[in-house]
Amino acid sequence: MAAPSPLTISSATFAKLSPHPYLLANLQPPDSSTPSARTNGRQPAQTRPYNINTSSLSHAHGSAVVRTGDATVICGVRGETLLTTQIPNYRPPQDDSSGSDELRDYDLLVPNVELATGSAPNFLPGVPPTTLAQTLSTRLFSLMHTSKLLNAEDLRIYQDDLNIEGGSEEENESGEGEKEIKAYWVLYIDVLFISFDGNPFDVAWAAILAALRDTKLPHAYWDVDREMVLCSREETPPLKIRGLPVACTAAVFTAKERQKKGTGQFWILADPDRLEQSLCDETVTMVIDCTEGETRVLAISKNGGTVVGPGLMKELAPIAEARWKEFRAVLR
Amino acid sequence: MADRRRINGPVGPTAPPVYDCPQSRRVAKQLDDNAIRKIFLKTGVTPSASGSAYLEIEDPNATGPSGTSLKLTCTVHGPRALPRSAPFSPHIILSTHVKYAPFATRQRRGYLRDSSERDLGVHLETALRGAIIADRWPKSGVDIIVTIIEGDQNRDSPEYDRDEGWDMMNVLSGCITVASAAIADAGIDCVDTVAGGVAALVAKDDKSQPSIVLDPDVARYHKIFAACCVAYLPTRDEVTNIWFKGQLPGADAMIYNKMVERSLIACRNANQVVVLALKEAIRPAQQDSS
Repeated sequence: MAAPSPLTISSATFAKLSPHPYLLANLQPPDSSTPSARTNGRQPAQTRPYNINTSSLSHAHGSAVVRTGDATVICGVRGETLLTTQIPNYRPPQDDSSGSDELRDYDLLVPNVELATGSAPNFLPGVPPTTLAQTLSTRLFSLMHTSKLLNAEDLRIYQDDLNIEGGSEEENESGEGEKEIKAYWVLYIDVLFISFDGNPFDVAWAAILAALRDTKLPHAYWDVDREMVLCSREETPPLKIRGLPVACTAAVFTAKERQKKGTGQFWILADPDRLEQSLCDETVTMVIDCTEGETRVLAISKNGGTVVGPGLMKELAPIAEARWKEFRAVLR
Repeated sequence: MADRRRINGPVGPTAPPVYDCPQSRRVAKQLDDNAIRKIFLKTGVTPSASGSAYLEIEDPNATGPSGTSLKLTCTVHGPRALPRSAPFSPHIILSTHVKYAPFATRQRRGYLRDSSERDLGVHLETALRGAIIADRWPKSGVDIIVTIIEGDQNRDSPEYDRDEGWDMMNVLSGCITVASAAIADAGIDCVDTVAGGVAALVAKDDKSQPSIVLDPDVARYHKIFAACCVAYLPTRDEVTNIWFKGQLPGADAMIYNKMVERSLIACRNANQVVVLALKEAIRPAQQDSS
């Protein structure tokens, strides 16, 4: 009887049938001649580069399209006006308040993430937002407030005269005794995933940051005769953004599917893609800002496992710094 | 109505910005009656889906950095097995979803589907049903999801101008074209590629007689009387869907037929774009295998 021919399957089929051994075989090759790498050829600490296009939407005040790897995300920022008479618990701010309380108290920033656009086979429309979408929106919302990215001063609308000049806040301050805040700008920040390829938090945050830097709100004032908020058509400078926080996420891939701490091998994969994210339980996210020269850590979050401790967390910082430099270079 | 699962804004109503002086009207380029705006179509934008496509229609009077007026993306997931609870069906079950992005139109749209989006979904399903060879896929379903990133709306008109909805015709024809490219990219058997085209009966200015134009740019005309959107299979010369809206003057009894025939020119043009885009997509694959 002739010997049966050996069964050979392509690597794509192998990846679909048994993804965990596939990734393990890539990271730990059986023979030493092939170098160890991730499934898409990257090194464990290598992140995918960003590709950013801004101002592509005409009905939004600011917009950005961010592409990284196979992921494509669109973010649109629209401003709408909210009268202070319509705010139930409105109180005029004290002079010494920082301004960030108003953003949180009156819900002036409204970020939302929409995954159910068919961006991946498990995100189909017709169902309410999944847990992933809800947690993403909430994490982005809290990061936006804690990073103090925006100042409520820039979103206030005063009763202004017709001497409209850019940045006239200082001149009015010296001229009149008090200025009444008549309305606020509310920013609706909508993030739409066209294509999902793992690591949604980093890409969504990058899109929001790029879109906010691109946002140009028109100069608005309260018109006493018509008793409404009117905007003028002159050119305004973009919205003032404080700092540039950039997020960097890494996932922990363990050699055995269920592994106790201290046993077995593991790899830290920065910027996981869809296949890697589905195989890893533990993720670490670090948000840093290097605009003032030294690295400031704004947020660290870690969940899903016990492998990463303070020592390994410190090793993630240089990867995050490199990501920050690369992001700032792309934004220019 | 507060949506528990999304971040809702403030409780009070928010209003879009109202400007104190009207924007100076852009001088629209005078185009031929039969001139159709250029279409950009690309397949394979969502690699994790079975098939996908992206469509843009140019804006001939663009002032901003983006020179395009209509932007759509379509993803196709399937054919996949129906759930066990579903009854047996000898042919494939098409389900279409059309959704405007919140930043797509002048008025902000919410995240829940409203009746106009459901209407577009039904028209799209009717248009595609005629092209797919359904009997080859029993007990299966396919999901076609179209997201409208930017609608074909008039940017110049002041805020109090009532939106009459003529741009939905252009949006539907774009949806049909992009969905047929995505279905072909997914490898689902079709008898032909469907393409959408729009013809409208317009009065160009105050005094002129109504005339039929193709691919109407909503901003350009003084008044639009009626419009029709047709989904057409060029090689088989079959129409799968017609959506007609408006009022026709009673003088000419055959005006309806004339409008539909003229719209077929727009359909053939859109079909050429689809065929070209699909050829581009298979060319690298052919070069690899050769």
